[in-house]
Amino acid sequence: MPLRLQLTGITKRFPGVLANDNVTFAVKPGEIHALLGENGAGKSTLVKMIYGIMQPDAGEIAWNGQPVVVSSPKAARKLGIGMVFQHFSLFEALTVLENIALGMDAKIPARDLEARIRQVMAQYGLLLDPHRTVATLSVGERQRIEIVRALLLEPKLLIMDEPTSVLTPQEVEQLFDVLRRLAAQGCSILYISHKLHEIKALCDTATILRGGRLVDTCDPKQETSRSMAEKMIGAGLKDIVRPEGRSMGEPKLVVSRLSTAKTGHFDVPVNKVSFTVRAGEIFGIAGVAGNGQNALLDALSGEIRSDDAESITIDGFPLGLLDTTERRKRGLCAVPEERNGHAAVGEFSLSDNSVLTARDRLGMVVMGLINSGAARTYTGKVIAEFAVKALGPASMAGSLSGGNLQKYIMGREILQKPSVLVVSQPTWGVDAGAAAAIHQALVDLAAVGSAIVVISQDLDELRALCDTLAVINLGQLSPAKPNAEMSIEEIGLLMGGVHGATEAHDAVPA
Amino acid sequence: MQFRLEKRPEPSKLMLYVTPVASVLLTMLVGAIIFSLIGYDGVGAVREIFLTPLTNSFKWQDLGVKAAPLIIIGVGLSIAYRANVWNIGAEGQYVMGGLAATGVALATYGMTGWWILPLMMIAGIAGGAAYAAVPALLKTRLGVNEILTSLMLTYASVQLIYYLVRAPWKDPMGMGFPQTRRFAADALLPNIIPGTIVHLGVPIAIVVALIAWFVMSRSVFGYQMKVVGAAPHAARYGGFSENKTIWLALLVSGALAGLAGMLEVAGPFQRMVPGFPTNYGFTAIIVAFLGRLNPLGVILAGIVMAITFVGGEVAQTTIGLSSSATGVFQSMMLFFLLAGDILVRYRLKRVIPAQEARA
Repeated sequence: MPLRLQLTGITKRFPGVLANDNVTFAVKPGEIHALLGENGAGKSTLVKMIYGIMQPDAGEIAWNGQPVVVSSPKAARKLGIGMVFQHFSLFEALTVLENIALGMDAKIPARDLEARIRQVMAQYGLLLDPHRTVATLSVGERQRIEIVRALLLEPKLLIMDEPTSVLTPQEVEQLFDVLRRLAAQGCSILYISHKLHEIKALCDTATILRGGRLVDTCDPKQETSRSMAEKMIGAGLKDIVRPEGRSMGEPKLVVSRLSTAKTGHFDVPVNKVSFTVRAGEIFGIAGVAGNGQNALLDALSGEIRSDDAESITIDGFPLGLLDTTERRKRGLCAVPEERNGHAAVGEFSLSDNSVLTARDRLGMVVMGLINSGAARTYTGKVIAEFAVKALGPASMAGSLSGGNLQKYIMGREILQKPSVLVVSQPTWGVDAGAAAAIHQALVDLAAVGSAIVVISQDLDELRALCDTLAVINLGQLSPAKPNAEMSIEEIGLLMGGVHGATEAHDAVPA
Repeated sequence: MQFRLEKRPEPSKLMLYVTPVASVLLTMLVGAIIFSLIGYDGVGAVREIFLTPLTNSFKWQDLGVKAAPLIIIGVGLSIAYRANVWNIGAEGQYVMGGLAATGVALATYGMTGWWILPLMMIAGIAGGAAYAAVPALLKTRLGVNEILTSLMLTYASVQLIYYLVRAPWKDPMGMGFPQTRRFAADALLPNIIPGTIVHLGVPIAIVVALIAWFVMSRSVFGYQMKVVGAAPHAARYGGFSENKTIWLALLVSGALAGLAGMLEVAGPFQRMVPGFPTNYGFTAIIVAFLGRLNPLGVILAGIVMAITFVGGEVAQTTIGLSSSATGVFQSMMLFFLLAGDILVRYRLKRVIPAQEARA
């Protein structure tokens, strides 16, 4: 049988960058093929050329043994190439069926389309009610719409761009089941990710890119996560260095019976959350997305104020009634999950973004006027110490890659030397090299006596990083336990089958 | 040949400044074509509207007097629009500022003293701000869209003029004309260049714009306006209250519109008349955008817009163009500007079809 897809010497140049340099690899029929690389390694560019969004400057694409020119995504779909993007293009106010109908190249009567959708869903075990409005669906369910949309065209190659970065562990498992079934029926899958354990679990072959060049094509089952990460970043991976003889001090952050009001339809509020973090301790909060993590972060940062002053205290000082500015002055800094538009303003320079949270702690404001020199100097320091890849303090935050922006944001907060730092998803969508740097910075901050709270859906991260763990489920926090004394089964149980069960209950099997 | 819009990695600084100029030039070009097609001397119309006010030095004083209120109101609106607070009712706030100042002028009629003008100024500022406080209250308390409330209040303010100049404030010696009496000498703006109509409002407009520029670029207030407009969620995270920002934006833009109203009534009008609302408040919306929501840009944009006003009057007498022609030119300018704005964030790229590329 001919190779499903064969790329030979693909080169793509952008002004100032060589995005892909002579890349050659092949995907066999029915193979799950990982495309692995750090942010900016050229994965997206390569995939865009396969899907016809861009054209290569040099090189050849062969499809089932025949050289082809993929002139547009429509042409790609015609060949049998489907793609599920990281960011969904769905209309929230329309139903699943309407959204799929809008995306079809050919006009199909609604009744026939629905029958086909139900057939595809049954075939691959995708649970989804075609008549539900998209706004009421979880992220995982929205992704299923995109998958169904791609599968309706009976693709011979399905490209998945970072599909699990938005999914819960249960949803990841369901997705993998679907992909394995697809592959078993002969559809090839090109799977873009940098989550190495997923690639080990799912993929048959991995092609690793670095700086636009192909580094290696290997069998992920024969490799360790570490060896693949090192190929990806092109250097030895550093372990987290923990200072010797670290001892935890007095209780620093004490949260008692903290609750928030229910605001929107889809928000989960927190309910009587209590925990204590000592000086030097890293306290992890695990949980499936959408269980009150956002409300908890907002309640701790001060974006949502409590009506009980004593619900949050630092060194015994009550903070519950204070706003974010006052809490920062008292030493509590926070980093929300969403980088662009929440933790940072994309249209502002990095320097102006430093003014956003560091202006009071670092004296960037004198008599109502901003000392832009001080902001620039501080931003330069963040860029240097956290190895942020940016032209300088004047770069727009929105022009940075996700990982670099996250390094900047973490640096901006950590260099303010907060006595309490609360972070949500510190390494979400961040490549291995940057994630390791961020983890090390958190450990170092704890070592000098700060109390740190890490809210994350990444259990590996929490296991590697934290001294103490608790689990948030439906807005309630489990009792905290030392990380070492907690088994993965115990955490899994606390994360609650409840959430997954409700979801399965809501969806109507086809 | 096919073209495609491609997102720029960073907004283009060049395009930010080129598009306002280009939109003025395009307006002149398209205006000339349209007016030629409907049987006027199109090229002549454009020359009279855009060039005569500049080449004829007698018109310069008119430019200053027309530009001053546009700049003052435009500066206020540029601050509010930065914060995504869409105050469309500057016209109403301008009217209320003028009425408040008129109230002071009439109450102090017969008195003399240097303090009368400053008092009128304070009244004008307070009147405009108070009128803008209504949409602010409705928006922050009840979530009512400020575009609707501020716009509708404009029409209410015009009715208030009609009432006041026809009944309580009517000039007792005015032979029944619906207007107030002419203000006393100490309630009128002094001329700053003898022999011209250039009044104190002109330098005030420049000073207001310079102060606003400094405040917007250097102060925490300016930062607050910009961050709330650019990313409300991030603003909350940074400790800026959205409601407080809405109040500030409306009060500041209302206060400046009120100040412009006071300067107009105490300057060119010298009394309150039913014709006091001359759409300065609406034209200033174009001025704010043409000036890139930057107070220094607003000075230039105010002058450009004043040129079309003055030139429109010239064209009325010289080539018999309707007075509505001015409005057509001004709207075209805003249209081209907003359309051209896409080039700030995107660039036009030629798409080479695959077949062509292979050949």
